[in-house]
Amino acid sequence: MIETRGVGKTYYTPTAEFPALQGVDIQVGAGEVFGIIGRSGAGKSTLLRTLNLLERPTTGSVLIEGVDVTSLDGEALRRLRQRIGIIFQHFNLLKSRTVHENVRLPLRVSGQLDRTAQDHRVAELLDLVGLTSNARKFPHQLSGGERQRVGIARALANRPQILLCDEATSALDPQTTQSILELLLEINRKLNLTIVLITHGMDVIRTVADRVAILDHGRVVETGTVVEVFLNPRHEVTRTLLAQSGVESDTAGALEPDDSPVVRLTYHGAGAEQPLLSRLSRESGLDFTILQASVGHLKTIPYGRFTIRVPRSARERLPGMLQVAQQIGIRHEILR
Amino acid sequence: MSTLIETIRAFEYWGEIGDGTVDTLIMTGLSLTFTVLVGLPVGVALFLTGPSQRSERPVSARLQDWTYKAVSLLVNILRSLPFLILLILMIPTTRWVVGTSLGVAGSIPPLVVAAAPFFARLVENLLREVDRGVFEAFRAMGATTRQTVLWAMLPETFPGLVAAITVTAIALIGYSAMSGVIGGGGLGDLAVRYGYQRFNVPVMVITVAILIVLVQLVQALGDRWVARLSHQR
Repeated sequence: MIETRGVGKTYYTPTAEFPALQGVDIQVGAGEVFGIIGRSGAGKSTLLRTLNLLERPTTGSVLIEGVDVTSLDGEALRRLRQRIGIIFQHFNLLKSRTVHENVRLPLRVSGQLDRTAQDHRVAELLDLVGLTSNARKFPHQLSGGERQRVGIARALANRPQILLCDEATSALDPQTTQSILELLLEINRKLNLTIVLITHGMDVIRTVADRVAILDHGRVVETGTVVEVFLNPRHEVTRTLLAQSGVESDTAGALEPDDSPVVRLTYHGAGAEQPLLSRLSRESGLDFTILQASVGHLKTIPYGRFTIRVPRSARERLPGMLQVAQQIGIRHEILR
Repeated sequence: MSTLIETIRAFEYWGEIGDGTVDTLIMTGLSLTFTVLVGLPVGVALFLTGPSQRSERPVSARLQDWTYKAVSLLVNILRSLPFLILLILMIPTTRWVVGTSLGVAGSIPPLVVAAAPFFARLVENLLREVDRGVFEAFRAMGATTRQTVLWAMLPETFPGLVAAITVTAIALIGYSAMSGVIGGGGLGDLAVRYGYQRFNVPVMVITVAILIVLVQLVQALGDRWVARLSHQR
């Protein structure tokens, strides 16, 4: 659906040049929710904006449905942008227009419907985002969450196949964030919409994304399914981001200084509904202490992640236990 | 009391003062109309070519830059000329455009030339105040520049535009009085001919009083309109 090939973007000032993106390759499948995460200044926003050419890459190319759009201009570029919706952190609504008029704007821009059909479509969109009763209000009369719903309705007006989300929930409180994310998931399913979102919050990624790319200093340092990346982060930046959101924490360093083995166990998917840990303990005949634990869902996939300590006296029985773990679908990583 | 009324009745200049007031209103109204018609597009052009709106293409960016510098220079030159000098400099042009450099008609071209650049700058500044995100949203929608101007920029700045028109109208009332010096007609003409050249203090005082009332009225009306516009959003 969307592909970038070696996309780079360098900003030039009279005295210096600043590479915001370097050789970025990402592939986003149709109907997928793709998350891009990174610290501020990592180039997330620039990358997202290259997808509808609000930023033109200085090197590389952007392909939408297999077509290289990087050099599109004028009318062709406007047509492309009408097929790609975008929502913003600060909503970017016209404050002089009602909710209805704001949502109708893209329809006026594309000019494919007559007035009656436009009004009909707007009503449909407001129903989709749950704002039917607010059609005649002005943006300043709405809460942040409601404004973002208007933004979503506006972005979907021309029935795009792609929706870009530029820190769409960063200006909202946690509860509102949750309801907006649920709405995004709902339209992702209902309309089979491909969604690319950028965020600095891992919570957003774990709630909605199928796959994720981690961006640092303008480069993709890690990419994969959310489960892979969350349960087995390989890059330093990923670990830091996970630690900040409380998914990962390095308890291993804070242990009492003996040499009892410490192991990280992870599992996910259908089997995660089973009482895997107690089974592991029973079948290996080994007692262990849980040092750190995190269980929950990554989007819809259940997962568990534990750091355990095995008594020093049971060291020689550890390989046996890990074998049992493997048999019942638990992955392990020996930390000490 | 009755003597006061008689004095007022006996004052022989009421007719001329009435005509002068009407002339001033016509001059201000017409020149304001043309000022907005000229200044608004120029202000939009200044904004679109200005530093805050970089084009996506380097070549047209350079063209934009030069256009901005040229228009900006012209606007600054016109704004730095004292109105009195402009009035005199423009006499040949005014004659060519409206056939005379005197009276109500003769004062309109210099008034427009003086006020339009001023108004254009006000418009440019107003547009710069509009949230950049709105323009980005329009670009992302695939809107043309025309659509962005008509559907986003002007509606978003409308209360500001009304306030700018009010300020310009008041400046024009002042300028139009000044054009009396070269026989421009209106209240300024009266004040110059009677008050300055013949030391007729009552005529001058009344003329000034009417100008004050006019300015107050325009400001009050403008403010009320702006308040109503800001209320509904």
